[in-house]
Amino acid sequence: MKNYVIKRVLISVFTLLVITLVLFALLRLMPGSPFNDEKLKPEQRAALNAKYGLDRPLYVQFGRYVLNLAKGDFGVSYNISKNTPISQLVQSRLPVSLNIGGMAVGFGALVGLILGIVAALNHRTVIDSVCTIISVLGVSIPSYVFALGLSYTLGFKLSWLPMLYSMKNPFVSSIMPGIALCMFTMASIARFTRNEMLEVLGSEYMLLAESKGISGAPLIMRHALRNALIPIITVLAPLIVDLMTGSLVVEKIFSIPGVGSLLVTAIQSNDYNVVIALSFIYSAMYIGIMLVVDILYGIIDPRIRLSKDGGERGGSGHLGFAARWARVLGIKPRKAVNAHGIQ
Amino acid sequence: MKMKPAKSIAIAVLACLLALGMVACSGTPAAVPTPAGSAAAEATPAEATPTAAAGGKTLNVMVEVEVASLDPQVATDGTSFEVIADYTDGLMQMDASGKSVPAVAQSVDVSEDGLTYTFHLRDDAKWSNGEPVTADDFVFGWQRAADPATASEYSYMLSDIGQIKNAADVIAGTKPVTDLGVKAVDEKTFQVELNVPVSYFASLMYFPTFYPVNRAFYEGLPAGTFGTSPETVLSNGAFKLDSYEPAALSFSLVKNPDYYNAASVKLDGLQYQVVKDSQQAFMSYQNNDLDIVKLSGDQVDQVSGDPELNVVGAGYLWYITLNGHDVPALDNVNMRLAIANAVNRAAIVTDVVKDGSVATYTAVPPQFAAGPDGSDFSADQTKFSDVCADDPSKAAQYYEKAQQELGKDSFTFEFLLEDQTETQNVAAVLKEQIEKTLPGVTLNLKVEPKKQRVEDIQNGNYEACLTRWGPDYADPMTYLGMWVTGNSNNYGLWSSADYDKIIADCTTGAYINDASARWKAMYDAEKIVMDQAVIVPLYTKADANMIKASVTGIEFHPVALNRVFKNAVKQ
Repeated sequence: MKNYVIKRVLISVFTLLVITLVLFALLRLMPGSPFNDEKLKPEQRAALNAKYGLDRPLYVQFGRYVLNLAKGDFGVSYNISKNTPISQLVQSRLPVSLNIGGMAVGFGALVGLILGIVAALNHRTVIDSVCTIISVLGVSIPSYVFALGLSYTLGFKLSWLPMLYSMKNPFVSSIMPGIALCMFTMASIARFTRNEMLEVLGSEYMLLAESKGISGAPLIMRHALRNALIPIITVLAPLIVDLMTGSLVVEKIFSIPGVGSLLVTAIQSNDYNVVIALSFIYSAMYIGIMLVVDILYGIIDPRIRLSKDGGERGGSGHLGFAARWARVLGIKPRKAVNAHGIQ
Repeated sequence: MKMKPAKSIAIAVLACLLALGMVACSGTPAAVPTPAGSAAAEATPAEATPTAAAGGKTLNVMVEVEVASLDPQVATDGTSFEVIADYTDGLMQMDASGKSVPAVAQSVDVSEDGLTYTFHLRDDAKWSNGEPVTADDFVFGWQRAADPATASEYSYMLSDIGQIKNAADVIAGTKPVTDLGVKAVDEKTFQVELNVPVSYFASLMYFPTFYPVNRAFYEGLPAGTFGTSPETVLSNGAFKLDSYEPAALSFSLVKNPDYYNAASVKLDGLQYQVVKDSQQAFMSYQNNDLDIVKLSGDQVDQVSGDPELNVVGAGYLWYITLNGHDVPALDNVNMRLAIANAVNRAAIVTDVVKDGSVATYTAVPPQFAAGPDGSDFSADQTKFSDVCADDPSKAAQYYEKAQQELGKDSFTFEFLLEDQTETQNVAAVLKEQIEKTLPGVTLNLKVEPKKQRVEDIQNGNYEACLTRWGPDYADPMTYLGMWVTGNSNNYGLWSSADYDKIIADCTTGAYINDASARWKAMYDAEKIVMDQAVIVPLYTKADANMIKASVTGIEFHPVALNRVFKNAVKQ
């Protein structure tokens, strides 16, 4: 297990480095520079490029960037907040996105689970249909529509909640964006939970458990939900990163000082360092969470847990990763996970 | 099958995931306000915070974008300029009509040859740390602007525009900053030497690039921290920064009790809010969370006739630049004139832009430059009506000539534009108008992000482009200077020796000591641009603001400082 974890961590670090390089190259290939403005004369653009070292060969720039990155220095912003260290920008903005995204994930996952369980237990009844409709709406309606609707009703018409984010009152300001953002998570989790629960409920071991005299809550919670939960985590993990790294549109609507809006502004203004830093953080979070999920899978899967061969564990872990992705992308539903799931 | 260990693990997993959410929920709110909030509270005297919080006479101001920099020599955008000017006074300031009047300088002497300006500073001008504002603060600020290490984007205000002695060499790095033609004669006397007389020099003094920076304070700060928080800026103006962090979406200023003119400042403070969604901004305005908001063209329709609607000129001229250098058909004057007359500007401003923007038929837009006799350079919008009008029949005549001269009857041009909604709408209508009036002409719209569009036109990689220019200073030369041979904004590489001579005479030659002759010569220059249809002027942008009836005295200007709040009153 230890080897497996070390290997995965090393792969993650390497992946991050590759991502940084690709980003670096892609940004430099983009037309324009951070200093394309009608008001700038060619000499001034040259002076600015020289000031920030953008006149050097690309490999020198990349080498310097990675060296600085190793020291925890993300560089400075060129346009959005001129000469401000990016670490400072991220420090003030990331917590806001984490906060709202966290609320959205926590709330969305909880309500989604409940909805999914209720729907599965009331399969082919009106309740099931209602839950399905809610899920379909939640998945298909973009979060900004919810955001606008909430803002208009709760914010504008009723004046219950602030329409614009206030640093003085972060919790109250986060409620509407949190709800708007949680809809997709809630709906996806509800849909997955329902499907997983239905499958588990129809399985033979449930029949066995039932025939052993287990019923009611213990049957559902201990035997059905527990088995249904694992694939759901696969869906939830990327959603956590998605939400925590901020949503452009919802952040824009509520004027939330988060990283989502920062990233888009940075891309539009060719603020290279900000784009790379935020993408790097985004990737690091993503890889980090996938790593945690992978390791958790290793722990949960009884075959891995009982197996004594480390190599097989690693192999199994990779199979899990690919299979889960196939699942998330909808390429090969059901079987992939069940193949190494708990029987 | 044993369930127990598996169950506990499953619960642990779920708990982990939920905890992740919870940690983010509960852990961060306390952390969020810390950087700006507590630091500001510590540093600001106790009496200052309640005034800001009281809100009674605090003006709630909407801006569309974040402040890009609070360093007066680095900032370039309107929002940054506005906020810097809230808490900083330069040598001069604008009065309500846009005229340059004394601020930190109580008087100015100009030598007879017009080459030396001597500013006498007020004795009672103080920085917020109690230090007096001295001539050396201006020397330091201006040297920073010219210093290649600062790489100030507006350094040309000192060299090309201001013609300050040695500025060009200092900016190019061939002379040390100490050679810049500015000096502190004594603590309260600041002297500037120019290469040639500059008629509008005094009016440059309210431009933030020329603002003072206290040398001792600046040098006492850790490198790179100037202008990043209330503690790292000094105020000598009507307000002082109360809460701010880089790229903040909300920040505030409070009245500066030590301002030399504090008695005339009626507001308790300014609460800024960045709102990028105009619908949300307008709803917040209706809910009284904001006192002044900018509307989009569509919103103006909803509120037409509302007494709180204020339309003010923003100075920006939108125009079409035609690349005659690389596109033979556009090198034909009659073709360019045909396009200039095929456009229906009146329809564009009333049906597309809708925010009060003004149809413009002159190369220098109206309402920003007043001449020696006080009259607007472009007040008469019909002076070039024989070459530039909304006139399909005239367009057809020019087009016929162009077709004969070029020996072709169909033309396809690529029309480059930026990816903003309003620009795209305008371009779509222009395409329709031009294609309808000039049968055989096809415009292919090419939409690009701003940075790419600017790169393309700067490299001449375009055929026709919808672009804009905002005035840097209150003189027609801020526009006319663009069309001289070799200017980097002369995208179509148009060139005329006659034109170049007039502009040279107006900036460094024959007319520099004769304001009315210079003014007349600039009319002649503009006439050449229009007769040749070097550009196709379209409209002068306006800003449609909603301002609460209880608020008065906000001053709007098309140049340098778009909004000034120091004389605003909130009932």
